[in-house]
Amino acid sequence: MSELNTNTSKVEKISLWLRIIKRVDILKKIALGIIVPLLLVIIWQTLSNFGLIPSYLLPSPSTVVSTLIKLANTGELFTHAGITTYRVLVGFAFGSALAIILGSITGYYRVVYQVLDPLIQALRAIPSLAWVPLFILWFGIGEGSKVIMIAVGVFFPVYLNWVTGIKGVDKKYVEVGILYHFTAIKTIRKILFPAALPSLLTGLRSGLGLGWMFVVAAELMGTSKGLGYLMVLGENNSAPELILGSIILFAILGKITDGILVYIERRVLHWQNSFGEENGNVSS
Amino acid sequence: MSVLKVEELYRTFNNGKKAFYPLNFQVEKQEIIGILGTSGCGKSTLLRVLAGLDMGYEGVIRVDREVHRGTHEKVGFVFQEPRLMPWLTVEENVAFGLKGKDKLSKANKFLELVCLEEYRKHYPKQLSGGMAQRVAIARALVTSPEILLLDEPFSALDAFTKMTLQDLLLDLWRKCKSTMVLVTHDIDEALYLCDRLFILRGQPGELVKELVIDTQRPRQRGDLHLAELKAEVIEQLQLQPEWQI
Amino acid sequence: MKSKFVKLIIGLAITTLSIGAVGCTSKNQSQAGTNKPKEIRLDFATYNIESLVLKDKGWLEDEFKKDNVKVSFVESQGSNKSLEFLKSNSIDFGSAAGSAGLISKAKGAPIQAVYAFSKPEWSALVTKSNSTIKSVKDLKGKKVAVTLGTDPYILLLRALDEAGLSKDDIQLIPLQHSDGAAALISGQVDAWSGLDPIMARVQVENGAKLFYRNVDFNTYGLLDVRNDFAKNYPEYVGRVIKIYDKARKWIIANPQEAQKLLEKQAKLKPEVAKIQLQRTDLKQSIPGAPQKAALTKAAEILKKYDIIPTNTDVQKTISEFVNGTFAQKALK
Repeated sequence: MSELNTNTSKVEKISLWLRIIKRVDILKKIALGIIVPLLLVIIWQTLSNFGLIPSYLLPSPSTVVSTLIKLANTGELFTHAGITTYRVLVGFAFGSALAIILGSITGYYRVVYQVLDPLIQALRAIPSLAWVPLFILWFGIGEGSKVIMIAVGVFFPVYLNWVTGIKGVDKKYVEVGILYHFTAIKTIRKILFPAALPSLLTGLRSGLGLGWMFVVAAELMGTSKGLGYLMVLGENNSAPELILGSIILFAILGKITDGILVYIERRVLHWQNSFGEENGNVSS
Repeated sequence: MSVLKVEELYRTFNNGKKAFYPLNFQVEKQEIIGILGTSGCGKSTLLRVLAGLDMGYEGVIRVDREVHRGTHEKVGFVFQEPRLMPWLTVEENVAFGLKGKDKLSKANKFLELVCLEEYRKHYPKQLSGGMAQRVAIARALVTSPEILLLDEPFSALDAFTKMTLQDLLLDLWRKCKSTMVLVTHDIDEALYLCDRLFILRGQPGELVKELVIDTQRPRQRGDLHLAELKAEVIEQLQLQPEWQI
Repeated sequence: MKSKFVKLIIGLAITTLSIGAVGCTSKNQSQAGTNKPKEIRLDFATYNIESLVLKDKGWLEDEFKKDNVKVSFVESQGSNKSLEFLKSNSIDFGSAAGSAGLISKAKGAPIQAVYAFSKPEWSALVTKSNSTIKSVKDLKGKKVAVTLGTDPYILLLRALDEAGLSKDDIQLIPLQHSDGAAALISGQVDAWSGLDPIMARVQVENGAKLFYRNVDFNTYGLLDVRNDFAKNYPEYVGRVIKIYDKARKWIIANPQEAQKLLEKQAKLKPEVAKIQLQRTDLKQSIPGAPQKAALTKAAEILKKYDIIPTNTDVQKTISEFVNGTFAQKALK
């Protein structure tokens, strides 16, 4: 009876240790990732404190952080970050939707592909930021103009990846559909769409990244709110800490939204059996 | 009463080469027909033409006496690879050709037939080759086709799994009362399963012999009569060694 | 394993420090062995009429040819750009409004104002002729275009303050001067805090009206120089000032020709050039008490909006910024 007790407590001890080791493992992973950035920040702060870096060129980390905190206290930070995020998400939604619809038609119907795709590829070759002055000319500097700009930026990578994905679907799967008399719509819905989904998600991640880039360009020209506006303010009012703070916020928001997509990707693509997997999950 | 009849059927590819010489044969109800031949004789092309996956043929195909072109409801197909949709569960895969609210329960009935009902919520990536092929067979059967066409369905599996699945096929044949046309390059498999064998020889293939196997089922794999038939088949295929022994 | 790690850290630190050091070296280097610059880099702008004269007549090039010193010009689209160039060591002399320069100075920019190239009324609040906006109070809730970090910006803030409004009562749209004017004319914004000559141009060509003027809210056109240039080449600062003053005197003595030159260089219609010249007072040129007083007043609004740190010692900053000694010596 007492032997049973000691065995149970041994098992409990072992599982406790295993849990600790697992947590330490995760901590180690995080720690390794943080070392270099943390070191750079420390060096930066030290150099600033000793006056080796002029503050009008590169303010110290503490200045940047206190500026951000000040903005947060007045609520301005959330207003600016909020509207920028809103613009990106709306532009992303429109651009992706258009890309998916157009890409589905182009990917499925060969004739449409031959007619439309060369035009789209030509437009894609235009350096993205070259659109900005043209759009301002055509659509002005209002909200609509900014959202359109972002949508254009998002469109091309999503479209390209989606069409490539559809066209790359193994014919073997499509043949199964033929056997069951699938109509075009049913084939797209039940075979092409799910099979090409991995490509689509890659395209969406790409598109989102470009969306963030475009919102910077859109906000650098004529807006009274947003993180890009903070950059312009910082540039022209000799406040480089605003520029840096804005950049940091862009990075954080960009990473968060990308992280959301990665999470969605992982959930949606759980069925994949591919090389890039860790324990059967899609790697980021 | 022939369930499937083929008249002067031939298929020429775009480059002018023939897939096989014009064929004429018919398949009776509940027969298991084997189409046997070496590689390049066009047996897979023949099956795809029969299934309606390849429409570039000349000649006539009759299903239940009616001339038909293209895929037919009464004709099911099992490919060489399972071709399961990786994003669907096993039961969703089996129900792939079905419509309606009760399609999953229908699918599960057929999963029971292939003894995989406990895996119905699994994903294809979690299945072995043999299991995946069983699911593919269930999927082909779920629409209750009269004729089941199988294109070298077990060629990618190991010898032991092969034998298990061959027995499963016979079991299904008995339960579902289907007619089967099986393409294979495995002579033993053909002799074990089929009532009649069409032997195709050459490139393009020519139907050189129709062999009737009247041994009663269940057949023994080591059966003497089957061994004699095997020798005949080999002779018909004119399998000569390419080098001097 | 451990020693490799330590080496990596040291290497990283050295790399970072050297990058920092390289970034801080002066970009304008002396000629070997002598105390003269290789090149003098100035800006020119349509709001600095002397600079246009100098660019056209080449007097600076002539002056410094014998010393083998090159002279180069780059255009500034506004005080904000000019100060940006100065801070990044892309130019040695920049033209900026007094208040704009003060902002940079208060934030640590190593510059000083050594010459007053004009006392202009170059900025006012502008709207279209058919607009309902008649006074500053009418700006509430409206879209106003302005270039941040320039005199028009500070004029706008001071005008709002005077009318009892704050920056948050309007929708402030940051646009560079010419883009702001375009936005006003195309109706995308309701008002624009303008700058000459663009302001004069929209008056003449588009019938725009200046609904708020206040000459005292305009803070002088100042020629700023980088501290390190002034420290290393004080003689050259004096010589540049002398030539600048030559241009100023020439404009006063030759009004017709000056107008024609302005038309040509800034691509303006005669009426426009005329208006700009009328609004520019070139009588004084040595920076001193008047400039300091104007800047002290401007500093109040800058502190209020936290554009310069609230703990700035305004008097000290202004006296470090406005340095009339070079001009006094050169123009005796």
